[in-house]
Amino acid sequence: MAIAVIMPRQGQSVESCIITSWNKKVGDTVEKGEILFSYETDKSSFDEAAPESGKLLAIFREEGDDVPCLENVCVIGNDGEDFAQFAPAAESAPEEAPKEAVAEKVEEKVEAVAEPTADVVASGAISPRARALANKTGADLLKATPTGPNGRIIERDVQSLVDRGLTVSGAASAEYTAQVEGSGINGKVMLKDLSAAPAAAETAVAPAAPEYEEVKMPNIRKIIAKQMCASLTTMAQLTLNTSFDATKVMELRKSLKAGAEKMGLPNITLNDIVLYAVSRVILNHKGANAHCLGDTIRYFNTVNLGIAVDSPKGLLVPTLFHAEKLSLSELSRQAKSIITAAQGGSISPDLLAGGTFTVTNLGAMGIESFTPIINPPQTAILGVDCITRRLKEVDGCDVSYPAMGLSLTFDHRVLDGADAARFLKELVFKLENFDLLLLV
Amino acid sequence: MPKSQYVDPAKAFEAGYIHFEDIPVCQYNKTLKEELKLYSKEDMVRIYRDMVIIREFETMLNEVKTKSCYNGVEYNNPGPAHLSIGQEASAVGEAYCLDINDLSFGSHRSHGEILAKGLSSIEKLDDKELYDIMKEFLDGTVLAVVEKHMNAGGNVKELAINFLLYGALAEIFARKTGFNRGLGGSMHAFFIPFGLMPNNAIVGASAPIALGAALYKRSNHKPGIVVSNCGDGATGRGPVLEALNFASMDQITKLWGMDGKYSDGGMPILFNVFNNHYGMGGQTRGETMGFDMVARLGAGFNPSQMHAERVNGYDPLAVIDAVSRKKKLLLEGKGPALLDVVTYRVSGHSPSDSSTYRTAEEIEAWKAADPILAYKEKLVLGGIATLDELAKINEDVTKRMTEVMKLAINDEISPRMDLNKEPDAIASMMFSNQTVKSMEPDREPDVLMPKEDCPRVKEIKGKVRTATDANGKPVSKMKMYNVCDGLFEPIIDKFYEDPTLIAYGEDNRDWGGAFGVYKKMTEAIPYHRFFNSPISESAIVGSAVGYAMCGGRAIVELMYADFIGCAGDEIFNQMAKWQAMSAGILKMPIVLRVSVGSKYGAQHSQDWTALCAHIPGLKVVFPSTPSDAKGLMTSALNGTDPVVFFESQRVYGFGEEFKKDGVPEGHYEIPFGEPDIKRAGKDVTILTIGAVLYRAMEAAKILEEKYGISAEVIDTRSIVPFNYEKVIESVKKTGKVLIVGDACERGSVMRDMASNITELAFDYLDGPPVVVGSRNWITPSFELEKSFFPQASWIIDALAEKIMPIPGYVPTQNFTEIEKIEREKKGI
Repeated sequence: MAIAVIMPRQGQSVESCIITSWNKKVGDTVEKGEILFSYETDKSSFDEAAPESGKLLAIFREEGDDVPCLENVCVIGNDGEDFAQFAPAAESAPEEAPKEAVAEKVEEKVEAVAEPTADVVASGAISPRARALANKTGADLLKATPTGPNGRIIERDVQSLVDRGLTVSGAASAEYTAQVEGSGINGKVMLKDLSAAPAAAETAVAPAAPEYEEVKMPNIRKIIAKQMCASLTTMAQLTLNTSFDATKVMELRKSLKAGAEKMGLPNITLNDIVLYAVSRVILNHKGANAHCLGDTIRYFNTVNLGIAVDSPKGLLVPTLFHAEKLSLSELSRQAKSIITAAQGGSISPDLLAGGTFTVTNLGAMGIESFTPIINPPQTAILGVDCITRRLKEVDGCDVSYPAMGLSLTFDHRVLDGADAARFLKELVFKLENFDLLLLV
Repeated sequence: MPKSQYVDPAKAFEAGYIHFEDIPVCQYNKTLKEELKLYSKEDMVRIYRDMVIIREFETMLNEVKTKSCYNGVEYNNPGPAHLSIGQEASAVGEAYCLDINDLSFGSHRSHGEILAKGLSSIEKLDDKELYDIMKEFLDGTVLAVVEKHMNAGGNVKELAINFLLYGALAEIFARKTGFNRGLGGSMHAFFIPFGLMPNNAIVGASAPIALGAALYKRSNHKPGIVVSNCGDGATGRGPVLEALNFASMDQITKLWGMDGKYSDGGMPILFNVFNNHYGMGGQTRGETMGFDMVARLGAGFNPSQMHAERVNGYDPLAVIDAVSRKKKLLLEGKGPALLDVVTYRVSGHSPSDSSTYRTAEEIEAWKAADPILAYKEKLVLGGIATLDELAKINEDVTKRMTEVMKLAINDEISPRMDLNKEPDAIASMMFSNQTVKSMEPDREPDVLMPKEDCPRVKEIKGKVRTATDANGKPVSKMKMYNVCDGLFEPIIDKFYEDPTLIAYGEDNRDWGGAFGVYKKMTEAIPYHRFFNSPISESAIVGSAVGYAMCGGRAIVELMYADFIGCAGDEIFNQMAKWQAMSAGILKMPIVLRVSVGSKYGAQHSQDWTALCAHIPGLKVVFPSTPSDAKGLMTSALNGTDPVVFFESQRVYGFGEEFKKDGVPEGHYEIPFGEPDIKRAGKDVTILTIGAVLYRAMEAAKILEEKYGISAEVIDTRSIVPFNYEKVIESVKKTGKVLIVGDACERGSVMRDMASNITELAFDYLDGPPVVVGSRNWITPSFELEKSFFPQASWIIDALAEKIMPIPGYVPTQNFTEIEKIEREKKGI
């Protein structure tokens, strides 16, 4: 009995995904659990495993195709089985639908036409209005299915792209043409791409050692670039630097290292401790736990902490929801889980949104202070720096202590310098007295 | 077809003969002694002077045209000059008899008449009046030039002669200081304050216009007569014959004034034919006509034979004798009259005429009979003037003419319009755009009863002003206020507001117009303001033009729009052009009603809005609902511009379907140019012209109910002027637009609008603006009309095939590009 493999829906906000590579080809035998193909959203990439064992009877979508979620991608079955019924074009059958209100039925039919169909030949023509809409929304015209007379792309075709979520993936169209270079988010794909033929071909064409290499910006890079530029051009950002005496925190880490396993506790990192402290302090400084939405400011009553993660493809910021309600060990466990998922490239897009405040940590790499960039529409971001030894006077003597740096960038449109300083001051106090904070 | 006149079969078949009176031919034979009793010596000499002035004026033009030099002054005049050298005695003789209240209209060959009538008026006006006229005219522009640069020796009449010659010549040379700012030119120059009405470059076109001026005098009880001048060649033209007949209608003496109140007698018009023997090069007597003598025509038009007479036009005194007798008849209410003034054009038709159609011998013979030389001889032999005295006149005239010419060609003193500096100078004259509720507010209108007593007014009072009642049920046709009522209300109101308003056309009175718009108005409005015209479309429209030139307001009707062709010149060259050709001096408050038919085949079903919209100077509207009909008619009747008012026979009986509260009571205007959104929508715009509105509404309903497509229906209502803003706004919203109308699509207003929308909203369009018009065929019979006129389904077809395919929809008409190319290849 043949079965169809669909394009899974990775999160509510995703309407379509791009197939980045096929591991199998038609006629191959596949085992249940074997990877069939890889695909990506605009934020992360995934592998799709075979749901059953059998023969790959048909592939409806090629590498680079943008496939609406839940649409059939391929068919697995036994040799000689008929799979025509699974072809995506055959899906809509409004004629068979029971008679409903006439207008509704019509809407359905219009939709059906807007879906890509195999027999439409694009003329390359596009109406001025459709082009204007595409420019405005960033819809990917290469993916448009013309439904106007003589293969003209008309407004509804562009609207259909927008409705199918192809507006923000405009960059993906570039990857179509560049697909031989390969550029999935998924690490595996990337490795394969690196050893792929085109790179060799490029060197063959240019026998002299090239002085540079031009690589198409991957999608995730483009998104980071856009976000960062938008952040810096739309906000009034500035950074305050301070440090706290990490003696008590270090002591806690030491005792945890010794006893964590016995107690069944996770490996709580310094970063987890900072996250915990932030989650307990920030609700007292609502301007820092907020979104600036043009004319209005949305103050949150919960703390969703974005954690900046250095993934192989670039910066990702998974969200730790309701951090203020988590114990230190719960927080640590969850943070580890999402950080790992982000680094592996398989994090759900739903977990890449919704942060109210972000913590970024460059301390592990010896950075003493820096100016983090706010992740809009958030209003502040805390940079965690490395620990340095400093001196302080205690009873007339210079005493050395471990000082951990904190760099808080805030949006001056929402917070004033003193507001931000007060937040840092309380954070420093709570971190310096972390043993007490745990008792609260 | 008044019921008061019984058509008796017994009388119709009665045996008998038609008797004709003898038509006098050149019977003038007064001796000098008799003449000296009639004219003073000064008059006799002045007649000479006037003829010499005309001769010299035209000699100058001829020299300029043929040698680019007159009396040592060089100039090149590229414009036309149709000279009348040889015809001076006819012009001066006629003008001698006319006073300020008498109006004269002429042709392309009318320099002589202009100068003759001008000189006559100068003589008859007192100095103060004369000076005031000159000072007020065009804010004294013309006067300032001659006052500053010519010496009249403090004599107002001399100043006025300079003014007349300079104003006319500057006009001929297209100078801003000309009588019509150079916009009329040689063939159209005129000066109303001297009774010099517009002259016309279209042969014979002045006849119906002059008729209209006579109608104005007759219907508004104004003093004076009207002279319609033309050449013998013009008598071959339909509009001239129509005018002769129209002026002779029995009703003017038999029915107008039946009520005993408003009887003024026959039409006060003299049709004066300057019979120079040639229509350009065609010899009327012996070649192109069969009447032998023009005067014979009079016998064909009425029992009084139009008092026709043939006169020696080479003798000014013979002309004076004849014209003064005709004028007397006209003033006695015995008009119209016809004169056949025999003369000869020694000059060519124009300076490029090589006279291939006549012999040198013939020209020499006529030169030998030169009217000026003959008259000079008479004056000298009769002891009225000496040769020296007359030579002095000639010398003075030449001197004056040279001076006038120098002024008229001086670019600083007589500049041309500078359309680079004032790019809108002509544009601003195309329409007068005024609101004048009454053309003569101080006079009580002639009516037969108070307005409230008019049976139709009473009837409308009891009507339901919506198409459906409160329960949504259709109102009975008999009780429903319909488009006819919407047209009638502002018209009857205007009859009681503006005493100059007249309405006429075929079957207007007792029938109430072929479609009943004027039904039951007969009781309230007297004949001389509301009458049946002969079936003479040229005369109907042409007379309205003359009527408006005199300061009246007319509403004329052509029954079917297809008959526009019968009045082509009058609509396209006269009604449309005179406001701008007069440099804004004339107003043209005419409403020309035309009705677009259906069911009546190829010659009675055409929407010719495109023909009218193409001609600059006409306003064109086409309402389709009672409210719009009323509001637009009110605007048309309050305005001062010519309006071609299209109506549709498909919707005369329709009630108000769009305004919830029905057709508003009382006076309201719908401004010209403003389209109306009849149905709001968001997916596609349907722009309609005329009665197709209702089919567009049907299409919009189908699109909504069956295909979930929301159509916005916009009724253009006006075609010229037209404000695109509302349409563009809609197209920006929908991106899709269909332009629909009943006209054949090729070269239609729809095509024009589609092109304009493309230009104005290109970036917003999701497909080309698509025209859905009638096929480029003859209109077939009613039973086949559905394959010819656009239907609701065609609108959907065009949308689906040209703009946005509709899933599940199967078109019935072929609107594809291949089909379009094929049809255009074949011209169908």
